[in-house]
Amino acid sequence: MDETPPPPPEEQTPPPPPPTSHTGSPTDFLKGVVGKRVIVRLTSGVDYRGVLSCLDGYMNIALEQTEEHVNGVVTNRYGDAFIRGNNVLYISAAEDL
Amino acid sequence: MESSSIQEPFDLIRLSLSERVFVKLRGDRQLTGILHAYDGHMNLIMSDVEETIMIVDLESAPVGQPATVNVAKRKMDMLFVRGDGVILVSPPSRT
Repeated sequence: MDETPPPPPEEQTPPPPPPTSHTGSPTDFLKGVVGKRVIVRLTSGVDYRGVLSCLDGYMNIALEQTEEHVNGVVTNRYGDAFIRGNNVLYISAAEDL
Repeated sequence: MESSSIQEPFDLIRLSLSERVFVKLRGDRQLTGILHAYDGHMNLIMSDVEETIMIVDLESAPVGQPATVNVAKRKMDMLFVRGDGVILVSPPSRT
């Protein structure tokens, strides 16, 4: 067997361009999502989807029209909800900023 | 516009004083009761409280079946809740 493995492709793909939109600090992001639909994930894995009313320096969160999702299933609905900040894992924008 | 009166998350709690609130706690516990007082730690004073405890029994469940969940309830006239156990507080819907 004198088969040689194929040579690696010559042209390397260029590195992806840096993201063009959404530069700024975490604080800028949080200011931008107030009033928008967000997904808040807690360290327990539970998700809360709703409209972000406001938040504070502890990352305590006030949500409106809140749905509680566990394993992708809606388990509760709240008109308003206060979430204590220490439980928050992340806040994700659920609509365009 | 009622949401204009909310500038910070604690405003939601302040507006719920003397109302019946739902509180979700660590350890699969939840409370409903009248909220009398709170502080910056989310320590709470509540009255006329019903606690609901979800007890997931993994051992007695058949293999491949979801675990059975037992629910225990108890009532308390007056309760101090330490703030670090609080996950979520929901006021009565203000529609």
